Amino acid sequence: MARVGPKSPHWVYVVDYAFLNEIDSRVYLFDGDTYRRIGQIDAGFFPGVNLSPDGKTTAVATTYFARGGHGTRTDVVEFNDNATLGKTGEIVIPPKHTQTLANLFTVAYSSDGRFVYTPYLTPAASFGVLDPAKKTVLSEIDTAGCTLVFPWGPNRVSSICESGRLLTVTLDAQGHESSRATSESFFDPDQDPVFAQAVPLSDGYAYVSFLGQVHEINFTQPKPVLRTPWSLVSATEKGTWRPGGVQIGAVHKTLGKLFVPMHRGGDGSHKDGGSEIWVFDLKSHQRTARWQVDTKELGDVISVQVSQDTKPLLFATTVRADLLIFEALTGKLRHDEKKLGQTPQLLLNP
Amino acid sequence: MTPGAYRSAAVTFAVTAFFSVAAQASPAQDYMLNCMGCHGTEAQGVPGKVPPLANALSRFMRTPEGRNYVLRVPGAANSALSDAQLAAVLNWLAVTYDSSESADQLVAFTSDEVSLLRHQPLISVLATRSAVVRNLANTGPAPAARY
Amino acid sequence: MHPLDRVFEKTARSLAKRTSRRSLLASLGQLLTGAALLPLLPIDRTARAQSPAAPVAKPTADEQNCQYWKYCAIDGFLCACCGGTSTSCPPGTQSSPITWIGTCHNPGDGRDYIVSYNDCCGKVSCGNCFCDRNEGEKPMYRLSRNNDVNWCMANSESNYHCSVSVILGVAEK
Repeated sequence: MARVGPKSPHWVYVVDYAFLNEIDSRVYLFDGDTYRRIGQIDAGFFPGVNLSPDGKTTAVATTYFARGGHGTRTDVVEFNDNATLGKTGEIVIPPKHTQTLANLFTVAYSSDGRFVYTPYLTPAASFGVLDPAKKTVLSEIDTAGCTLVFPWGPNRVSSICESGRLLTVTLDAQGHESSRATSESFFDPDQDPVFAQAVPLSDGYAYVSFLGQVHEINFTQPKPVLRTPWSLVSATEKGTWRPGGVQIGAVHKTLGKLFVPMHRGGDGSHKDGGSEIWVFDLKSHQRTARWQVDTKELGDVISVQVSQDTKPLLFATTVRADLLIFEALTGKLRHDEKKLGQTPQLLLNP
Repeated sequence: MTPGAYRSAAVTFAVTAFFSVAAQASPAQDYMLNCMGCHGTEAQGVPGKVPPLANALSRFMRTPEGRNYVLRVPGAANSALSDAQLAAVLNWLAVTYDSSESADQLVAFTSDEVSLLRHQPLISVLATRSAVVRNLANTGPAPAARY
Repeated sequence: MHPLDRVFEKTARSLAKRTSRRSLLASLGQLLTGAALLPLLPIDRTARAQSPAAPVAKPTADEQNCQYWKYCAIDGFLCACCGGTSTSCPPGTQSSPITWIGTCHNPGDGRDYIVSYNDCCGKVSCGNCFCDRNEGEKPMYRLSRNNDVNWCMANSESNYHCSVSVILGVAEK
């Protein structure tokens, strides 16, 4: 049996939702320097996938049917050891796992790795708090219709609401609710909704809107604090150039750079892939680069992720199922991995 | 006027008062766009998953506790509908989907009442519902305990 | 009666309730709000959903085309390419009781229509005629307008097979 080998900052976990065969989702671990698949983690049906804070474990929240495509439904959070890509355990959760397309916030860890959160949708919304060490479900928290789990610190989880607000729940040491608070509304869900695919920052999350507004929220304070929104687009570009796709932004935290796939389009184009990748400086909010993507050859870019090292790689997947690897500092395309799976949509980097 | 005509006139008046709050929007369309996908074309819900509004909503509206509950359920508290639109949709639903006599004595929601209560969503919806339904059953028709 | 037929029929009747008194209240309510939702006549003739036991009429070319106007917010496989039609589930699959909603423009008559999208459930992905359109679609915190989630989630058999679209009526405003 081949070995996984020493961890590299240039690894990327690529989640393939396998649209033509949705019960057969999987995660490919790909080496961004050698351009080889290291191995695979199976992921069931409409999975949520995330990495533990120490990078050692991949958690997969998913659904299995007893007879393959039908039969008794069992939902689980499975744990995989990233040193071996072997499954090391699971927690059976109620059959309420939020079955949705690629999103970083359908399973997530607390910052100290002691809790795993996984949202439920029946269609009523709530989330489970799990103990990954003891492999138990600690509690289920009602979220008043608000969805997904945006964790912060050791014991806070936020969910995003149709009213344009964030609900934040604080947990006690046993993983039960100790308090909750709802923010003011920070976006208009009718005029300019934000993507539910928040972009992780070093001090919180950025919610990017369909028209290119960036709503950065500082989560380090007792309550989430909204910074003044800024725009990815100029006044003349607004409405024409838009962010879009699946994983619509990635941040290199120490360099303070934001990467966004951008396309030309109108209403209803928010899932369109980008013909360009724009790069922004998070301090100045200025666009520092604009990479043209050869979409004829490669396909439109739907997801981006950036490695966090000093020679960073920008990973991107396209509508053609290619995985692209760019030098993040220059925009030079180093490699096009053709057809990495069927519909690779989510990119995770330890 | 014949007794039937008096009755129709009274109903007309009641309905006029009832719907005057909703003059600007179409509550039927707001229901269709925002709620019907889960609560159903007959406001019947989905057994075990989505509570019915039919034969339920107007009964909740009979007591302050029930009205408080209705305005703080997830679909109301965090709906994208404005306070006025939400009041109109709830009032329309209560009139349209309840065959019990209590529908005649309905007190319409106003947008003020909605504003006052909706921004404190419930923490444990099912537990609250059970308690409210139990209390309602003591004073008249109540929604089904389970759905 | 096929579940989708029931959806269509009952939606048409929901504004004229069981007793005449309820009908009066309902129709008065519509007039007073000044924005009557038009009676839900079978504008789209194919919306007469078929029972799965009866032979299904061959879907029109339109129904198998992702650009068909009423598919403006659909996401998934077109049931018309999977043994069903644009409004009926393929044999052996079950309609979802919950749906998402779109508002689509019909270039044929220049009007906007409210469209309800059901998923058909209980079998693996159909895999034919994938179509993902997102007019007016919203992220999942706005669930009624979202087409990313598996709308089969509430079915006893919740695997996703394909999607249909049922026209509910003309949109006002």
